[in-house]
Amino acid sequence: MLEIKSLHASVGGKEILRGINLTVNAGEVHAIMGPNGSGKSTLSNVIAGRDGYEVTQGEVIYKGDNLLNMAIEERAQRGVFLAFQYPVEIPGVSNIYLLKAALNAVRKHQGLDDLDAIDFLTLVRSKLELVKMDEQFLHRGVNEGFSGGEKKRNEILQMALLEPSLAILDETDSGLDIDALKTVSDGINALRSPDRSIVMITHYQRLLDYVVPDFVHVLSKGRIVKSGDKELAKELEKTGYSWVNTETEGLPA
Amino acid sequence: MKQLTELATPFASVADSLPLVGNEFPWLNALRQQATSQFNIDGLPAKKVEDWKYTSLWSLAQQSFTHDADKFSLDAQQCDQIALLVDAYRLVIVDGEFSQGLSSVDALPAGLSITSLSTSLTNVEHVLGKQVDLAKAGLTALNTMLMNEGVVVTVATDVHIEKPIELLVINSGNTEGLATHLRNVITLERNSKATIIEHYVGLSDDNYFTNVVTEVVLAEKAELNHYKLQQESKNAFHIATLAAKQAANSQWKTNNISLGAKLARNDVHSQLLGEQAHVVMDGLYLVNNDQHIDNHTRIDHGVPNTTSEELYKGVLEDNSHAVFNGKVIVHKDAQKTDANQQNHNLLLSRGCEIDSKPEMEIYADDVKCGHGSTVGQINENQLFFLRARGLDEVTARSLLTYAFAVDVLERIPYEDIRQALSVVIEQRLPRGGK
Ligand SMILES: Nc1ncnc2c1ncn2[C@@H]1O[C@H](COP(=O)(O)OP(=O)(O)O)[C@@H](O)[C@H]1O
Ligand SMILES: [Mg+2]
Repeated sequence: MLEIKSLHASVGGKEILRGINLTVNAGEVHAIMGPNGSGKSTLSNVIAGRDGYEVTQGEVIYKGDNLLNMAIEERAQRGVFLAFQYPVEIPGVSNIYLLKAALNAVRKHQGLDDLDAIDFLTLVRSKLELVKMDEQFLHRGVNEGFSGGEKKRNEILQMALLEPSLAILDETDSGLDIDALKTVSDGINALRSPDRSIVMITHYQRLLDYVVPDFVHVLSKGRIVKSGDKELAKELEKTGYSWVNTETEGLPA
Repeated sequence: MKQLTELATPFASVADSLPLVGNEFPWLNALRQQATSQFNIDGLPAKKVEDWKYTSLWSLAQQSFTHDADKFSLDAQQCDQIALLVDAYRLVIVDGEFSQGLSSVDALPAGLSITSLSTSLTNVEHVLGKQVDLAKAGLTALNTMLMNEGVVVTVATDVHIEKPIELLVINSGNTEGLATHLRNVITLERNSKATIIEHYVGLSDDNYFTNVVTEVVLAEKAELNHYKLQQESKNAFHIATLAAKQAANSQWKTNNISLGAKLARNDVHSQLLGEQAHVVMDGLYLVNNDQHIDNHTRIDHGVPNTTSEELYKGVLEDNSHAVFNGKVIVHKDAQKTDANQQNHNLLLSRGCEIDSKPEMEIYADDVKCGHGSTVGQINENQLFFLRARGLDEVTARSLLTYAFAVDVLERIPYEDIRQALSVVIEQRLPRGGK
């Protein structure tokens, strides 16, 4: 599904990603953990194609194609989904308009017609139920005045509707209370399937109790310094990240 | 080089040669005399006049205009398509002339009167000209000299008119360089209520000149929703004054949408003269290419306890130029005034230019007044978000521009008018300006 090879990327001339290697196969759930500033959001932004990140070396292959050559929207249309760490508010664009436009963009790319109004609404309602969101959220501006937790649920709602092949969730668990965390986890688990991959970026081990990953990676200073299974996350929970920084110092680039 | 005052030439001799309506009324002749003297002194306002600092009428003064329209007939079906609203009382003026056939003002409810100015001059003697100052507001004197048509709307005491009234002013493009000077007089008597849309449309790309003055009188407790949609030809001049006097507890809710014309200027003025009077001044301008739009608004809080809310938004593209000058004057005794004024602009190209100047002159001490003005671009985070959801860049930019603009319709209480206007705005959106 996703193959990242020796990826180096910088922002404003400062190298942030310093040689990332990661392979995510279809059906797998990976967790990427790491201290603040280690480059987690940078990695997800590079995958989604955000401007301002310069890839200086390496490649990202998605379903056999070079992802880095694709426009932002093409990546999305081909099934790459980024759940934002800080979802943006767009007053004046209603949530339902966004959902419809996004779904139709994906469908168009797949050669499908737009869903008719009734089918669309039925589908959206079923997804709302999944993330326990009230229908009134559909008619508000995108994330406008939403609480932190509501914004994160809204990201999961979009993901559930778009059914991406590769979902990258950037700290979707941050700032959630326990009920919201469970809801969001249910949303993620519902998406798990043999032909889909999920990369969860998180700071805490907490989410991984609900969405159990196949692999856990530790990112530090722009490199993956350790990989393992879910036990690695538990270990991190106990020891914190301080060891990570010392351990990376001597590693070759 | 000639002075702009001398360049009143395109209009100077017109008054003598035109058969102007109403020359049997001494009061009207006297008013026109006064206007002519004033215009002979002032001419067209030059850029050295503070209110015209950013808008040059040079190109207007260079044109030759005619006041003689060739006959043109429009069929009812075309007219329906041009109109904004399907279900409305409609008064239609084509090339400066009232069209009885295209208008639907015959079967009116009791208490509502909609007539053309030329047929109702007897009724407006005590109203016409009282809301405007001949010496100010630029082309009002010219308008007073030459006004020949317009609409007169009167709503009687306690009458509430639900169905909107559309004043449809069409330039057919059939007469090159046609100048029309229209005067509208709207009077709402005590506790009456109505909704009026002034709608200006050019059917060609022609060069012509619309000069309109609309006067509004709101008696106590009267409530007028007053919208304007300007879709003149891209080579036209559109100059408009919209002035109201408001008595106690009256409400004037305006929305002023400018899309067309090469050069457009609006002077919108409310005088709040009775306590609890309230005005909403909203507006939107969407300009591109080398369009020039100038909105000058003024609100006079003349007595205690009056309120005003103002929001003008602009979207500029290419080499367009917009001017916003909003003046709020709180007079000496106008305690407890509550006034808020906002002007926000979205620039889509490097070549466009905005001169935004909110002004508040406050002579009372117990007031709540605020204003703000912003100039910005498409928000890159929002753009990235939409594209990351699969929307192509052009669509995403267009959507964000729409979202910015359509916000000014929020205070229009009628769903179908809001809907009709939002469709017009959507059609006029730049396709992904950069
Ligand atoms: N736009 C930017 N400009 C400058 N520095 C940036 C920018 N984005 C991220 N960085 C820097 O890159 C590093 C990694 O940031 P980020 O990827 O957001 O970390 P994480 O998500 O792991 O907390 C930080 O040192 C941060 O300050
Ligand atoms: Mg981050």
